[in-house]
Amino acid sequence: MKILHPASLTQAAEMMAEGAVPVAGGTALQLQWSQGRARPAVMAEVGSLLPRGIRGLTIGAATPLEEIRRAGLPLLSEALRDVAAPGIRRMGTLGGQIGFGAGCLMPALLVLGAQLETTEGPRALAEYLAEPRGLILSVAIRPADRHGWRKTGLRAAFSPAILTSAFALKMKGSRISMAHLAVGGGPVPPRRLAGTEAWLAGQDPATLDPDALRARIEAEVQAPDCAFRSARYRRRIAANALAFGITGQLPAQPGRRTPIPARALPPQQTVLGRASGGERWQTRPDMPAKVRGQMPYLTDHRAPDMLVGRILRAAHPHAEILSIDTTEAEALAGVEAVVTHRDIPGLNAFGIVFQDQPALCADKVRHIGDMVAAVAARDAATAEAALALIRVAYRPLPLVTDMAAALAPGAAKVHAGGNLVSEVVLERGDAEAAFATAAHVVEATYTTPRQMHGFMETEGGWIAPEGDGLLVCVGGQHGARDRLQLSRILALPEAKIRVITSPIGGGFGGKDELTVQPALALLALKTGRPVRLQLSRAESTRAGIKRNPMTIRMRTACDGEGLLLAQEVALLADSGAYASLSPGVMETAMEHCAGPYVIPNIRTRGRLAYTNNGIGGAFRGFGCNQMTYAVECQIDRLAAKAGLDPAAMRRRNLRVPGSPGYLGQAVGPSERLHEMLDAAQASAIWAPFEVAPEEIPGTGMALTYQGTGLGTIPEDEARFALRLKDGKVQALCGLDEMGQGLVASLHAAVAERLGCARSDVEVIFGDTGAAPDSGSTTAARGGYVVWKGVSETAPGLSARLLGQAAQRLGHAVESLCIVPGGIGARGANAPAPLLRFADLGDVTAEEAHYAFPKSDYFKGNARFLFTYGATLARVAVNRITGAVRLVRLEFHSAAGPVIDMASYLGQMEGALIQGAGFTLSEDILMRDGQMVTKNFDTYAMPGVRDVPGEMHVTAHETLDPGDPFGPRGAGEIGFSSITPAIANAVADATGRWPATAPFPPEEILAMSEAESAA
Amino acid sequence: MSVTFILNGLPATIAPEATLATVLRDDLGRTGTKIGCEIGRCGACMVLLDGQAVNSCLLMGWQLQGRAVTTIEALETLPVGSLLARAMAEENAFQCGYCAPGVMMTLAGLFSARPDVDDAGLREALEGNICRCTGYHSILRGAARARDLIKETS
Repeated sequence: MKILHPASLTQAAEMMAEGAVPVAGGTALQLQWSQGRARPAVMAEVGSLLPRGIRGLTIGAATPLEEIRRAGLPLLSEALRDVAAPGIRRMGTLGGQIGFGAGCLMPALLVLGAQLETTEGPRALAEYLAEPRGLILSVAIRPADRHGWRKTGLRAAFSPAILTSAFALKMKGSRISMAHLAVGGGPVPPRRLAGTEAWLAGQDPATLDPDALRARIEAEVQAPDCAFRSARYRRRIAANALAFGITGQLPAQPGRRTPIPARALPPQQTVLGRASGGERWQTRPDMPAKVRGQMPYLTDHRAPDMLVGRILRAAHPHAEILSIDTTEAEALAGVEAVVTHRDIPGLNAFGIVFQDQPALCADKVRHIGDMVAAVAARDAATAEAALALIRVAYRPLPLVTDMAAALAPGAAKVHAGGNLVSEVVLERGDAEAAFATAAHVVEATYTTPRQMHGFMETEGGWIAPEGDGLLVCVGGQHGARDRLQLSRILALPEAKIRVITSPIGGGFGGKDELTVQPALALLALKTGRPVRLQLSRAESTRAGIKRNPMTIRMRTACDGEGLLLAQEVALLADSGAYASLSPGVMETAMEHCAGPYVIPNIRTRGRLAYTNNGIGGAFRGFGCNQMTYAVECQIDRLAAKAGLDPAAMRRRNLRVPGSPGYLGQAVGPSERLHEMLDAAQASAIWAPFEVAPEEIPGTGMALTYQGTGLGTIPEDEARFALRLKDGKVQALCGLDEMGQGLVASLHAAVAERLGCARSDVEVIFGDTGAAPDSGSTTAARGGYVVWKGVSETAPGLSARLLGQAAQRLGHAVESLCIVPGGIGARGANAPAPLLRFADLGDVTAEEAHYAFPKSDYFKGNARFLFTYGATLARVAVNRITGAVRLVRLEFHSAAGPVIDMASYLGQMEGALIQGAGFTLSEDILMRDGQMVTKNFDTYAMPGVRDVPGEMHVTAHETLDPGDPFGPRGAGEIGFSSITPAIANAVADATGRWPATAPFPPEEILAMSEAESAA
Repeated sequence: MSVTFILNGLPATIAPEATLATVLRDDLGRTGTKIGCEIGRCGACMVLLDGQAVNSCLLMGWQLQGRAVTTIEALETLPVGSLLARAMAEENAFQCGYCAPGVMMTLAGLFSARPDVDDAGLREALEGNICRCTGYHSILRGAARARDLIKETS
């Protein structure tokens, strides 16, 4: 690309006549490029030639949008709050927005009667949009007496527009003398609504019929369907927004309907935070480096001889590979190696549960992210050019994209063995007979999304030959297992592979399976040089593991008093092209299908299907959160029928502590469900609260009940060591730091147990060459692994430290103890050590090897230790758009003693909001095996405007007397019941339960309209 | 023909058609700046351009002639930098930390220009920064604490 800098507008015009594309801030152009439009060969920089600044109501074309946002201009400044985000608004210009043509700001400019000065003379905005000619020099606006603006997107802020609307009214007394109405945004062509404008003239907004106005607008708006929202929805919200904006009227609204639970005394609770935490609130050891950008992530490593890798992905979601020709790619200057399945010395397969995924595809591809070949070259551009030169001949196969169809007889097969990956069936009692006699039966089908992990650091790292083996530095969640899987693929003994997996910029389960390691390892072996690779977000979206989409049909019955009698569950889950951990996810969902409730008659069936829809697998929540969504909504539905409040209904059906688990298995002590219900009943969240006139308030709750650890079937063990080396108490733990606070937790646990300071502790982690195998950093097992490891090793190390110190000092061992900094005198007032750790000399490691506590049930996978919680949500349902705004979230948790307060709070708050994304805005849409959602422009993870104003997290830390199991896992519980808490709050507001997540605004809007009409 | 700009106080060069975020990481050894989406939608790559926070994945070399770029590596050369770093660490604002460089530069730009910004302004300033770990409240608590510390010392 060539960038020209014309000296004058005349010269710019000449350049443009020869094909140069004018550019000012460049933000709109770059978005187009990322969406697939070709970059121009020549651009002409015009921003510096155009007027900049605001004079009265005239705005120079080169004025950055952020400057206009802050200028206090009528309507426009307010509207710009909803356009892009501040960083982009500082680059993007008003002229560029208009030149781009379809920006969401256009309706605001149209109703302001924007007049443009251009190099081709003055033009009205509408004319220019219809036929853009010349460069815009300035924009003049003409405000009216009243204005309104609304942008609806995929989330609250920084979103592509679904629809924007604006109006401007000139008033003569109480009557409208002139009305301007316009719509636009996203795929909606920006235009005025002339018919409605004419109808409004002369009317009094206070007395005109809002229904008639809505009907006119809805009939006049022209809007298309898109993958995200329907045309009907767009017309509807345009009509609602404009009619409400102009008349200020909405139909009357009945009040909330969920009976408020009786007040209860709260259990013992620790409020988490710096203000309330006192000494327990400590700065995490990784924080100083992280706030300064000094954390060395594995994707940050650069070295002079390092090559850059790139992966060739499948061109079709399901196709037979006829041939792969790498000749041209290999011949390209700067390419050091091309690898295909022919370069794999060992087993061309991997997978945590079973090895059904090829490292590099040989005979067929099964999803659009499948890896076919990889290139190592001197730089990224060369590697990318080489990918384009690899010739792969395919024969497309019939697509399997629907879970139910995949399991129907005669379906095309994704794998030779058929499309049923696994099935879990459980029947107990006589469900049919119980349904027949039940007083109340509710049935619904819950649908859950293909959520993307969205870790900020995409998959990647580097791999280098080391001696006669390999050094693998790629973010992961279980280095020893990555090593095992690589060893199979590479036919290289595990002892010759060292795997470093930390630190990681977020995992959430999405880095549990191998990602880029096989391709990078093959490239490093073939070139004999280090090779690095980090997926672009677009590639990560296309190829990365996602949460398994599920449909859960659930039928639940109770008697007249609300006692549960029977439940039938039929679950279908989409595994995508390979199994990875999806069988475990499905089984976990089925393990939680009665929640924490006693249901005597059960009939359940879960099936997991192969499809060509990307790959599914582990994601925080791991099946439990999807099932909890269904169960906890069913409970509220039945409570409503039985005339009970949500807490009373739950209390009536809670499992008895100490009784066998859902599968009949033994479960661990310290059950805290009653305490969590107490916390829910003690909360002030049930009180009335204020929302905007266009919103309906609602409050809801759900209980959390989630097993931790891997369960009875998989191996679930940990090794751990503690030693004194180089003056530091070193904890050797093979878990990974993904941000959850592993390092902080180890500092806290070791310091508390030994009596030293947190700063005396150093953690060796995430490295198979330096730390023992502590198992996977998944399934909320880390908290237990840390606590148990420290409990097992600290007494032994303490004895050795004191013994060695006693010798050095010539004191009796009994007279010494560990203090911050070293060894001190027992009972001394002065905290200063007699002997510093640094002067004590190294002390050999105390080692431990232990199993995660397991239950006694082996017919299926069963958990032993559980975590408990209650999620409470206040929402405001928007009657204009169907959006659900989170007003307040509370999470009351019971997961045993909190090891590190800041880490624990972070896990809870973060899980709530990640779960809020699952509930309200996140889904990877797919069509014909291709991702429709390709990057963060349309994948709407919650932003800061989506999070509630208030979040309140508590921890109930007690354990039963003699409970030997310590802290339970904290990684997942925050996620488990956020969706049903929000759904139940929506039902409080509207009387109906959303059964599809993310909740479709169109459906919520219909619910709120039905509510108004009722 | 390459473009000359000032990077953290020292001259640096970039090709006109190159993207600043990539050049920072791959050619200039400044890997503190992160790339999360490459399309300006996550804010992990925020740097200060003449003191204002912008997405470096959207900045091309031709836009930088003679301009000053400040990256996270130079955070503490800014008057508000050290207090901001201290406040965010004390509140444990981050978890994985991958969004942190972008969030920190956004806040550094904000507090440099508007040390008395209100809570609504704080939230608005962060609308271009995605954090996947925290749910934002810890970041907001850290930012509010930074504002207090900056106020106390001014």
